Amino acid sequence: MPFTPKPHAALLIVGHGSTENPDSSTPYFDHADEIRRLGAFGEVHCCFWKEEPSMREAEYLIDAEEVYVVPDFISEGYFTQEVIPRELRLDGPTTRRAGKTWHYTLPVGVHPSMTGLLLARAKEVAPDADPAQTTLFIVGHGTGLNQNSTKAIKDQVALIKSSGAGYAEVLDAYMEEAPLIADWATLATTPNVVVVPFFIADGLHSYQDIPVLLGFEAEPGEAASQREVFRHNPHHLQGKTLYYSSAIGTERHLADVILDQVSDFDAKHLLPK
Amino acid sequence: MKLSERLTEAIAGGICQIGQVAILPQAGGAGHVLRHIDDGDTAADLLENHHGPAAARDISTWTEDGRYRFTKAEQSLKRGWQLHLADDAELLQALDLFYPAAVGLWLAQQDGRLEVEHLRDKLNRQTGMYRFARNLSDTGAQALVREVCGPANCCVKKILWQIDADTPLEDSEASRYDGIPGDRDRTRALPLLCREACNHFVAEARKASKAESDAKAEKVES
Ligand code: SF4
Repeated sequence: MPFTPKPHAALLIVGHGSTENPDSSTPYFDHADEIRRLGAFGEVHCCFWKEEPSMREAEYLIDAEEVYVVPDFISEGYFTQEVIPRELRLDGPTTRRAGKTWHYTLPVGVHPSMTGLLLARAKEVAPDADPAQTTLFIVGHGTGLNQNSTKAIKDQVALIKSSGAGYAEVLDAYMEEAPLIADWATLATTPNVVVVPFFIADGLHSYQDIPVLLGFEAEPGEAASQREVFRHNPHHLQGKTLYYSSAIGTERHLADVILDQVSDFDAKHLLPK
Repeated sequence: MKLSERLTEAIAGGICQIGQVAILPQAGGAGHVLRHIDDGDTAADLLENHHGPAAARDISTWTEDGRYRFTKAEQSLKRGWQLHLADDAELLQALDLFYPAAVGLWLAQQDGRLEVEHLRDKLNRQTGMYRFARNLSDTGAQALVREVCGPANCCVKKILWQIDADTPLEDSEASRYDGIPGDRDRTRALPLLCREACNHFVAEARKASKAESDAKAEKVES
């Protein structure tokens, strides 16, 4: 969707961040840089739950009177519905406070344009795999605590199935609840398998935990550097050819999904019906 | 006036340091150059050159010996680099990567619109696994400021908060610290301000609070 630039507004990308792993905030800064490069907003900032600047400090970074807040999160749930509104003091889609207007969009992971991104990523890691002979897994955390995180993945799976991409099977799987990604070889009946982690960042889950569950990395401990893990495609395991992608949120075009969420917000809340 | 313009005005007025970053004026208004404060006088060809604000993140992510600097006001910024920035906006963006929101917080303080959050309010807002931090005693909290904050523990922010509105911090090196590392002219440095306890502090508060309740349980048992 073409984006009409908003030179008078600021974009605030909200991420999780980590006190242990700087890779976990890299995608947010990359997406911010990409959006600056596109000239889509007058200002672009990031703020975090576990890193600086905190959400409470974010307002001091911003000049513009109109701010679009986009949660760079995979699903709706605890963070997008409780933590972010509380920390940024948002009381609905649009909040007016201390001379600024804050628009709060849905998280990137629930936008329909994520489907195209997942398909592009799957094609990119396994360019030679015939979709008709391939099972595509979209993998999430899954804890039982947040039904929404599995819903976001199930929705994407349904969208990919109906997209005409021609995969023999498209399946959702999780690290900690059934269907378990550890059972990938029995869940998939095709000779080829492509696995795309539905996370924003290449944190421990995508570069350590999931490779162990898939069986091509040894038990966690000496973590293979992130690049090593993704460079060794394909893996020949359990009689199948397995292709593993880095987290979908590291995709450069996620910047476009952020802008799509802003456009959708305007269409739904601001434009005259 | 925009934040970046106000920053440039402050620099024209003599500000030349933020945290461990020195701001060097360039002749003829040709942008800005940043260096480590201890490299202020080093010959330019001995330093590694970087261009553009994004490099500030790479420079400030790891210490010299490869530790992740997740608390940005750690007094552990590595030396040996200089960063060239083309204009006011790039300068502000780079400083926000070195010291997130530091310029904006300082300008808000100048305007009298900086909202400070006291420790109790911060701890009471914690949910999930950090909820336990709420139970920390005042004595424990006072001790934690000495153990976690201040230059002795690497953090060079000036603490603006108290335990609560009526309970100031006890006097210590950490509570007295002015947010300006190095031994330079205080009037020419922009101080780093701590308006709310950071994540690191909250995580330590959770641990300390657990230790307090374990100690209590032991007493009851014995
Ligand atoms: S609470 Fe403030 S002063 Fe203390 S360590 Fe954290 S940032 Fe530094």
